[in-house]
Amino acid sequence: MNIAVCVCLVPDTASVIGFAGGTVDLLRVNEVMNPYDEYAVEEAVRLKERFEGSVVTVFSIIPAAATEMLRKALAMGADRAVVVNGKEESDPYLTALVLSKAIAAFYTESLPDLVLCGKHSTDFQHEQVPMMLGALLGVSTVNGITALNVSGEMLHVEREIEGGIEYLDLAFPALLSAEKGLNQPRKTSIRAVMEARKKTIDHLDVSIDERPFIHCTGIEPVVRKKICLFLQDEKKLLQLLRHDGVLC
Amino acid sequence: MNKFLVFLEQREGVVKKASIEIWNRVQGLVSAWPDSAVSGILAGPADIGQLNGLLAGKGVVYHADEECFGLYNQEAYARLIADTMKRDASTVLFFADSSLTRDLAPRLSVSLQASLLSGCLLFNQEGIAGSCFRPVYSGTALASFLPARQLTIYTILSRGMVEVTATESHIDFMTLQPQHVAVSDLFPVVRRIVMRKGQLDVAEATTIVAGGRGMGGAEGFALLDKLAALLGGAVGASRTAVDEGWRAHAEQIGQTGKTVAPALYFACGISGAVQHLAGIGSARIVVAINCDRDAPIFDVADYGIVGDVFVVLPKLIDELQEYLKKK
Repeated sequence: MNIAVCVCLVPDTASVIGFAGGTVDLLRVNEVMNPYDEYAVEEAVRLKERFEGSVVTVFSIIPAAATEMLRKALAMGADRAVVVNGKEESDPYLTALVLSKAIAAFYTESLPDLVLCGKHSTDFQHEQVPMMLGALLGVSTVNGITALNVSGEMLHVEREIEGGIEYLDLAFPALLSAEKGLNQPRKTSIRAVMEARKKTIDHLDVSIDERPFIHCTGIEPVVRKKICLFLQDEKKLLQLLRHDGVLC
Repeated sequence: MNKFLVFLEQREGVVKKASIEIWNRVQGLVSAWPDSAVSGILAGPADIGQLNGLLAGKGVVYHADEECFGLYNQEAYARLIADTMKRDASTVLFFADSSLTRDLAPRLSVSLQASLLSGCLLFNQEGIAGSCFRPVYSGTALASFLPARQLTIYTILSRGMVEVTATESHIDFMTLQPQHVAVSDLFPVVRRIVMRKGQLDVAEATTIVAGGRGMGGAEGFALLDKLAALLGGAVGASRTAVDEGWRAHAEQIGQTGKTVAPALYFACGISGAVQHLAGIGSARIVVAINCDRDAPIFDVADYGIVGDVFVVLPKLIDELQEYLKKK
């Protein structure tokens, strides 16, 4: 089975992000692999362990200086990595378009059997790229899966919906995006990290000539501070909530 | 003429409150626009009588009542919506944000070459389709996005309440002719859904009672279940409570869980890590109960009680029962 995994870089959740003049200041930010993408890599590696002869290839649109992140995916068990040299786009559609061209160019003869992505990136959280990529590749897609089983030619997946769980069946080739709960990504051993150094990282040039779907017109830090009224009496709390019109 | 289409999502024949809310908000938005019309599309068997008095304004609701639309089907739904937009010459499509629309909207965006603005808190009417605001970077910032194509799709976060202003409404319902949807087996098919019994989902609740590490374990949440039941609300959980296995991930609120916008939010034994606060930025009234006076949750709370949740919550439940009895 040929499995492609798309990963991206996001600021480490512990980083303090600066916002100035309507833009983001990422100078002092440590960037890591998007946590949802780790679930995608882990699931790909588990499938590879189950289906002999599978090859897991990781794709990422990142600056050449940031390829270290791909070593992590390789240490987790991916076979090879592809750095997609394209303008890093903030528009989800253009990102999906660049990835679809990269995947088509890499797998020249036919599409990969399975493409795995994280459900969203923790920076802009659009939750659009994976399903758009699937549409562009012309494969079946399911967003936000929490369980995956393969039997023969079919994929059986689960997804959390409001108040319940949905069970879906679909055929290969497919693109699935990973929700938290799909698996627990493995810790990489020193030996795996050393072996990852020997694996190949390819570079692929992709150019597109399309306009974006959306523009980010501004970004401002959220000032969250409220003035908390401290109470000692539960009865008083209920009176206040009633006064605010939020009590049934 | 500006034409807007609102998708009305049903599950097991019940139209979602969040969809009704979005319909009403769109009606409020276009009432200031003289030359505009709103239509709705309801996919799947459902009794339309349930919408009586709930939908505000004027417009037509198209009902595709065939069995094949009963369970969500990405391909069938996408075709139905795309056909309806084309027939009506609608330029803007509105969804209530949900797991279904997160799956469906990007596909429609590609096939219709439409701008997609997902997870919007607010959208302003300046030059419909206008910009929308949305939390980014784990809720530490708010970004505004502008659509760049002729067609626009919005998925909008629910505020957890249906503002009924349907006094002078005039809604026509029109059952669509059978679509003869021949859907390929290759597309994902929902085999079945299993709903958790009798529980409201955090994404759809007007009131949320959430617990964190301070609840001590799965048993501690029994108090929250009780409080939520009295308030007609849903139980939510912090990341710790979910990672410890006390509650299901479906109930998690925050960066790696759900973003919610209820009218009333109780944070019980939750310290208020930035990742959690990310999910509750749009809650109207926040009540924090925590034994640590310096916990960051109090910085975002309207009302706070410093104390042990196992002392405060039983008292609160008693008082609430008293209050409900008198009502």
